[in-house]
Amino acid sequence: MSLMKYTFINVITTLLRVFPFPCKTGLMKIGNPNRNSLVFLTCNYLLTLERVKRALKGIDAYLLVANSRGINIWCASAGGQFTNHEVISAITVSGIEEFVDHKNVILPQLSATGVEAKVIQKKTGWRVKWGPVYAKDIPLFIENNCKKTPEMREVRFPWTDRVEMAVFFAFPLSIILALIVLPFLPSSILPLIVLVWGLSFLILLSFPLYSRWLRPEGKSTDFIRRTGFPILLWGVFIIGLIIYRAAIGDFTWGFIVQWGVIPLVTVLLLSIDLAGISPTYKAALHEELKIALDEKKCKGAAFCEKVCPRDCYEVDSTRHIATMPRSDRCVQCGACIIQCPFDALYFKTPKDEIIPPETIRRFKLNLTSKRLVKVEGK
Amino acid sequence: MSTYILMKILESTPSRYDKGIRILTLGRLDKSYDRLTSHITKGQRVLDIGCGTGALTLRAAQNEAKVKGIDVNPQMLEIAQKRAIEADLSQNIELCEMGVAELGSEASQSYDVLMSGLCFSELTEDELSYTLKEVKRILKQGGFLFIADEVRPESIAKKIPQWLLRLPLIIITYILTQTTTHAVKNLPEKIEEAGFTIESVRLSPLENFIELVGRNQQKGETK
Repeated sequence: MSLMKYTFINVITTLLRVFPFPCKTGLMKIGNPNRNSLVFLTCNYLLTLERVKRALKGIDAYLLVANSRGINIWCASAGGQFTNHEVISAITVSGIEEFVDHKNVILPQLSATGVEAKVIQKKTGWRVKWGPVYAKDIPLFIENNCKKTPEMREVRFPWTDRVEMAVFFAFPLSIILALIVLPFLPSSILPLIVLVWGLSFLILLSFPLYSRWLRPEGKSTDFIRRTGFPILLWGVFIIGLIIYRAAIGDFTWGFIVQWGVIPLVTVLLLSIDLAGISPTYKAALHEELKIALDEKKCKGAAFCEKVCPRDCYEVDSTRHIATMPRSDRCVQCGACIIQCPFDALYFKTPKDEIIPPETIRRFKLNLTSKRLVKVEGK
Repeated sequence: MSTYILMKILESTPSRYDKGIRILTLGRLDKSYDRLTSHITKGQRVLDIGCGTGALTLRAAQNEAKVKGIDVNPQMLEIAQKRAIEADLSQNIELCEMGVAELGSEASQSYDVLMSGLCFSELTEDELSYTLKEVKRILKQGGFLFIADEVRPESIAKKIPQWLLRLPLIIITYILTQTTTHAVKNLPEKIEEAGFTIESVRLSPLENFIELVGRNQQKGETK
């Protein structure tokens, strides 16, 4: 029964991935926790909560569900819906202090883009420990004495997630296109839906084949480079269509145009920000920021290494300084800047302007829109 | 990582917030705020919970009260601060980035008036009961509680027209200003349960908007 519910929630939230799915906030007991049990905190996005609960099966622990307005933890943290206030509220309002003898709470690592461990400790006395990125790693994390392996810190884009993103894209798009086409060509609805779904799956499943070209090099992001592969796919499809129609002796340009438009729309819409659909590439839609390190301030505390979801950092333990040997992998989530206790990291714009840590802490990734507004006002 | 950035550009628009709220509440809110703050007198200590862009805070400060406005959104507070300076009221206003969960840091019985506009409906259920408990503690005996908020109508007969009216309004407001509000259930009951007496309640014709004056009950006083 619970498996059915779990599957149902997974399907619904995948089909309607664009919408928030809030669930009840507050304190939950998992198993039979005692006064020394671990305290986990998660967001109130239905799918996340279900996955965390599933991962915690057979473990005795407390789970705090904090209010992220039904949005997943990474988006809510980067977007400013999941901040210090939500975590302080979950700890204070739930009355968790009456249930346990310690003051340690495990937060999802991806919330490090929105929640400042330092502020939580100052305001509540609770110490924040960053848990694994994926809920499924929680049992191993506990077994490991609450220590993370480097793999547990990294976001990935496996085929299962790519399927989810294909569905997230194909479902609403096929419905919208079907509704538009319905009055004119009711007979072509089914092939149209098959086309949209097929192309979405093809483009996302073949993602590893072309993804290395999605990484922006140089100053501006090149539209052709980003859309190259999907457009190529579309071209192959059109040529195939022409050959097929010619082979069966029923070739008209009208037919090709009619059936070329829908795939073109699908391909173009998907390509607007293919990189941004993945968790492993920075979005192409907003300006390119670079992380910079002030070597004088850095003391090699390695907070950055612990919260980076892309494994960009390595701390040089002899020189006590952080280095970024894999900075090209950065998705500019800002977690390292926000958590650095010495304010040694900051963002640099292409024009060499500096965005200091306090601005990023205040506005999170909102700073993109915030700064756009500012520029317009000048 | 772009889907959420897009979402954020749409959602985080404090500068358009006031306009959105005005459309959504059909101008009702301003009148409510005026009526509620007209009770505030010179020298009173006032706390505005969820002050946002300062609609209630500024009105109270105009009556020469000492107002503290708290909100969790730094962008909203920035606008409130700007407006306070423009209205030359900043000497009466203290703005703090602080959520209801931090009300524990306020001294007991330290405020004459506690007010909140469109904030209780943003809170989760456990946050709301926590807030009311804290408000009861920090409000002086006989102190006032002013609330203006969206509520859910109780009768089905009002629920249907309320949705028919609200749905297009929500959509239009969202498209124009990317702002929306929520509605809270059984607010007067919750306030009474927390130990306040309700002095007056004014509901909109569709029972979806409430203007409430509560009072911190005197000891030994019965309802």
